[in-house]
Amino acid sequence: MTAPNHANGPVVLVQDVCKEYRRNDMVLTVLHHMNLELAAGDFMALMGPSGSGKSTLLNLIAGLDVPTSGHIQVCGEDLSTASQSTLARWRARHVGFIFQMYNLIPVLTAYENVELPLTLTPLNRRQRKAQVQTALDIVGLADRMDHFPRQLSGGQEQRVSIARAIATDPTLIVADEPTGDLDTASSTEILDLMKRLNEDFGKTIVMVTHDPRAAAYAKRTLHLEDGRLVGDTDVANAETIA
Amino acid sequence: MKLLLYIWRNVTRNKLRSGLTIMSVGFSLALMTILYGYLAMQDVVGQEADKYDRVVVLNKLGFASPLPIAHVGRVRALDSVASAMPFAWFGGNYENKQAMFAQFAVDPEVAFDIYGELEIAADQLEAFQSNRQGAVCSRALADQMGWGLGDRIPLQGVIYPIDLDLKLVGVFDAPGNSGSIWFDWKYLDEESKKSPFAFDPGAGSIYVKCKDGDNVEAVCEEIDTMFGNSENSTRTRTEAAFARMFSEMLGDVQMYIRYISLAVVFSLALVAGTAMAMSMRERTTEVAVLKAIGFSKQRVLALVLGESTLIAMLGGLLGIAGGVGALALVASVPAAAMMFPVPVSGLVGAWMFGLVAVAAGIGFVSGLVPAVLASQLSVVDGLRRVV
Repeated sequence: MTAPNHANGPVVLVQDVCKEYRRNDMVLTVLHHMNLELAAGDFMALMGPSGSGKSTLLNLIAGLDVPTSGHIQVCGEDLSTASQSTLARWRARHVGFIFQMYNLIPVLTAYENVELPLTLTPLNRRQRKAQVQTALDIVGLADRMDHFPRQLSGGQEQRVSIARAIATDPTLIVADEPTGDLDTASSTEILDLMKRLNEDFGKTIVMVTHDPRAAAYAKRTLHLEDGRLVGDTDVANAETIA
Repeated sequence: MKLLLYIWRNVTRNKLRSGLTIMSVGFSLALMTILYGYLAMQDVVGQEADKYDRVVVLNKLGFASPLPIAHVGRVRALDSVASAMPFAWFGGNYENKQAMFAQFAVDPEVAFDIYGELEIAADQLEAFQSNRQGAVCSRALADQMGWGLGDRIPLQGVIYPIDLDLKLVGVFDAPGNSGSIWFDWKYLDEESKKSPFAFDPGAGSIYVKCKDGDNVEAVCEEIDTMFGNSENSTRTRTEAAFARMFSEMLGDVQMYIRYISLAVVFSLALVAGTAMAMSMRERTTEVAVLKAIGFSKQRVLALVLGESTLIAMLGGLLGIAGGVGALALVASVPAAAMMFPVPVSGLVGAWMFGLVAVAAGIGFVSGLVPAVLASQLSVVDGLRRVV
């Protein structure tokens, strides 16, 4: 697991981004002229009420969607104009995903789930095995690698999901409500683990959450309302930009 | 982990649904295997028959009209003919029940010259030739019926109003699947004339061995020309053409079989497609996750098509194996030996691979729509279902 080198610029650069959805003749603007920079090694929480646009912003940063206007540059790649196939290749290389409902493949073991994104890389079987074992070691589930998701607790499933997210050693990890379906103890485990990934391995993390306790683990918290940035708290520097 | 493993796990994910789909494809492919296997059998029999330089003379009016025995001598006298004999289907009952084997009246003096591929011990052949009530049968039939040399085999006439009391004097080995018993035509003739109806049984058909294997078509023409103006004119075919005649008798039925097969394949593709569509609908979020972590459209397409094709192929292979098993079972019944004169193992051919391709085609077509929908799925929409 290596720390990324983005000394020359931000990992995420969002410039004047708007996102609109069209339903028949109706246009719904979800993000209004959003601007944002995220440095390498940052850990940012996105907060806001439902419908505020935080998941949409996360999807744009993760290359799952493209903006209606404006530019998004992540890990040096301009995502605004990239094709779907380019975005798919880019995600495989640069982004790890953590979902609220874990979204592990139920018919695959923990090992096979973690190996899944590695099948998209040119690594051979031996190299993949080493990567998977490292990832499972980091999340503390090396002894559960042969278990299927149904044989794991919610917290363990989410840890496998984190192992899958870091298996390819991505620059950016995006997490959508990673503790939303977990009890307090498991949530703490997951948040501690994410903090470790950020601090020890230098991973840049963007996390959507409703939970202030989860947001407290981040170095920086962005507050969105009605598709607009209404607050940016830099916890590390104890500075709030309204 | 190979993607093939993932495909296999998806196939076995919902065992009931996959099992039912496999069974529906398998059952239909088994039926198609039986139908096409029978048609293939006719082709193989025709090719096999080509080796022996034999022609078959029938009454031009058809099977039901036997040829007069005098025709045999006139055919035998032709320069191009090595030998000829009557070949009359007796079709009697055995032990007062419908006999499950074929019975033919032949000429023991030349029968094993004309059927040179059959092997019989010299002393048994001599006994067949010297004993008017003597009969010989294939080893398969003797084994099936538990007959031994010296056993009496009473046959009750159904077509002919006479009963025969045969004595097994020989057993022959045939290269293919044979389940028939032969007896002396003269015995049939004598019993027919002794009966209250005192009738002439006729020769039935005439089997002819040609001298020149390259000239059998000409022999057919020569025989038909010879009897062209007689009261019993003939229709002579090579033995291969005679074998094919049975499948040709199916005529349009063959075409209907093919059309019905196509309809079955189409409906199967719809059934399998519905199962596949349901399966993929349940996995919308999973597909979205795959695409989120970097699976391309093509890879998702391949995963779904691989799954549907594997299910259909499993059904197809099981069905073909079941169909071949059913054919072998039918062929093992002596009564069916006439329809399956060559072993089922000899039927392996392009038609079988064609059926495997049909199974693969069903899988491909059934998976196409779900696969395209999955590959086109928006990751955001797919994830929104749960996240």
